[in-house]
Amino acid sequence: MVDAVFALLAVVTVVSAILALEAKEVVYGAVALALSFVGVAGFFALLDAVFLAMFQLTVYVGAIAVLILFTVMLVRRERWLKTKEGVYKSVGIVASLAVAVGLGYLVYSSSITHVTTTVEQAPFTLIGALILSEYWAALVALSLVLASAVVGAVVLAKLERD
Amino acid sequence: MALIRNLLEFLIRIVVLVVIILILVPILLFVAYQLLGSKLPLTPSMLFNPSEALAFTLAFMDTDFFRITVFPGFTFVALYAAIAGLWERKLLAKIQLRVGPLYAGRFEGILQPVADVLKLLSKELVIPKVADKLFFILAPLLTVVIATAAVAVIPVTENWVIARSDVGVLVIFAVLGFFPITALMAAWSSNSRYPMLGGLRALHQMVSYEIPLILSVLAPVIYAGSLNPIEIVKAQSNIWFILLAPISAIVFYICALAELERIPFDLPEAEPELVSGWLTEYGGMNFGLILGIAVYIKLYVLSALFTLLFLGGWLGPAPLPAEFWFILKSFIVTTLLLIPRGVFPRLRIDLLLKQSWAYYLILALLNLVVAAAVVLTGSNLIGW
Repeated sequence: MVDAVFALLAVVTVVSAILALEAKEVVYGAVALALSFVGVAGFFALLDAVFLAMFQLTVYVGAIAVLILFTVMLVRRERWLKTKEGVYKSVGIVASLAVAVGLGYLVYSSSITHVTTTVEQAPFTLIGALILSEYWAALVALSLVLASAVVGAVVLAKLERD
Repeated sequence: MALIRNLLEFLIRIVVLVVIILILVPILLFVAYQLLGSKLPLTPSMLFNPSEALAFTLAFMDTDFFRITVFPGFTFVALYAAIAGLWERKLLAKIQLRVGPLYAGRFEGILQPVADVLKLLSKELVIPKVADKLFFILAPLLTVVIATAAVAVIPVTENWVIARSDVGVLVIFAVLGFFPITALMAAWSSNSRYPMLGGLRALHQMVSYEIPLILSVLAPVIYAGSLNPIEIVKAQSNIWFILLAPISAIVFYICALAELERIPFDLPEAEPELVSGWLTEYGGMNFGLILGIAVYIKLYVLSALFTLLFLGGWLGPAPLPAEFWFILKSFIVTTLLLIPRGVFPRLRIDLLLKQSWAYYLILALLNLVVAAAVVLTGSNLIGW
């Protein structure tokens, strides 16, 4: 059952990720990207990390996919016309296939057939406690980066208006 | 000749229909028996023995299937939506000195929702030639599915809940985050000016009001120390959180109005300017799915959330059952969300966005800080 769900999620995630890149209509691409994010959230949920899954949905689908849709709507259509792909596409396909085959071989050749864990699922409140106690410096640094990004965006917008 | 051919065609269709039904019904019954019968006292003799039937019904009411399809699930919510829709029309009519629906059902038009649905069902599904067919058909369906998904984590009482989730409140916001996407899918796929403008407005509005909405929810969450709606309600046994976080409650109410695209925030469907906003090209049951079902289910979700977070959920004086208190409170909140439509004019888009970012965000943050300070200083306000 879990394997079937995993396979389904994998197919959904990968296919919609490819669609996001290859779709002729950019709106289709944006929606496919959202679907791909939903698939990733599904993986988190499968790993019993419901909190992370929900945050994946709120942040990536609710904010990032929507922001991309925003940009698609605001920028004029001509900008989205496809440029020539050249050799990069074939190189990319070969490289990603090589990585996939390599990883697959690695897993297949190892003796791992199944993984069991006895570790109990940690309550999500622990994440908050840990971030605020042990990793407070990273939290402060991140918030400063975000704040400066917001200030920068406002300044850029103001410059353009004047 | 033509008449005879038509008659024959008609007869053949009826025969095909009957055959399909004859095949489908046993299959469905068999599936239902496989799903439920093994756990339930389902026997043929039930048909003649009322006490066995009663036992079956009681056992059936305890299954997840019943919860999902009937009580806190779809049937209940659809019924709530229908009643809220009728109530809105009658209430607004009375506010504006009109009569509202009057004829369907003899008494004050109480069968109007049924009449509306029948009308929408009987209409042709028109898909514009230039529309993007996939998204045009998918958007209304997705809107309903997403709105209904949020219902799963809303507990009516401690026992009547479909999914007990430790992060229930977060789930609702994860689900609410999908609505801008479906609205834009509908708008873009219609391939027409009015829906596009409406869709862009919907996008702006939902995105900017979601932030104060989430922040206003955090104050009760901090007081209760949990994201689980059931725990949040239990924490309110001494004092409702609306008294401890009044600003948050008001911000939540206003942002819920905006999230639901109701007047004074109904710019996405402003009738005088945009015909019907991002719904303009929709008709028949496609339209009914979004406007008749999804919007009112969303209304139920937000009213229920307000009840759970600020009004003590199902807590109430004993003689009346808990379910009654929850539904009553939700319905009062729904009414409060409906009333502005009869009273206020529409806001301008720049004022709308400014209000969200300049006032509601700050107010919600303010109450959040107060709640955090109260909890940190250990004041025992909720009586633990």
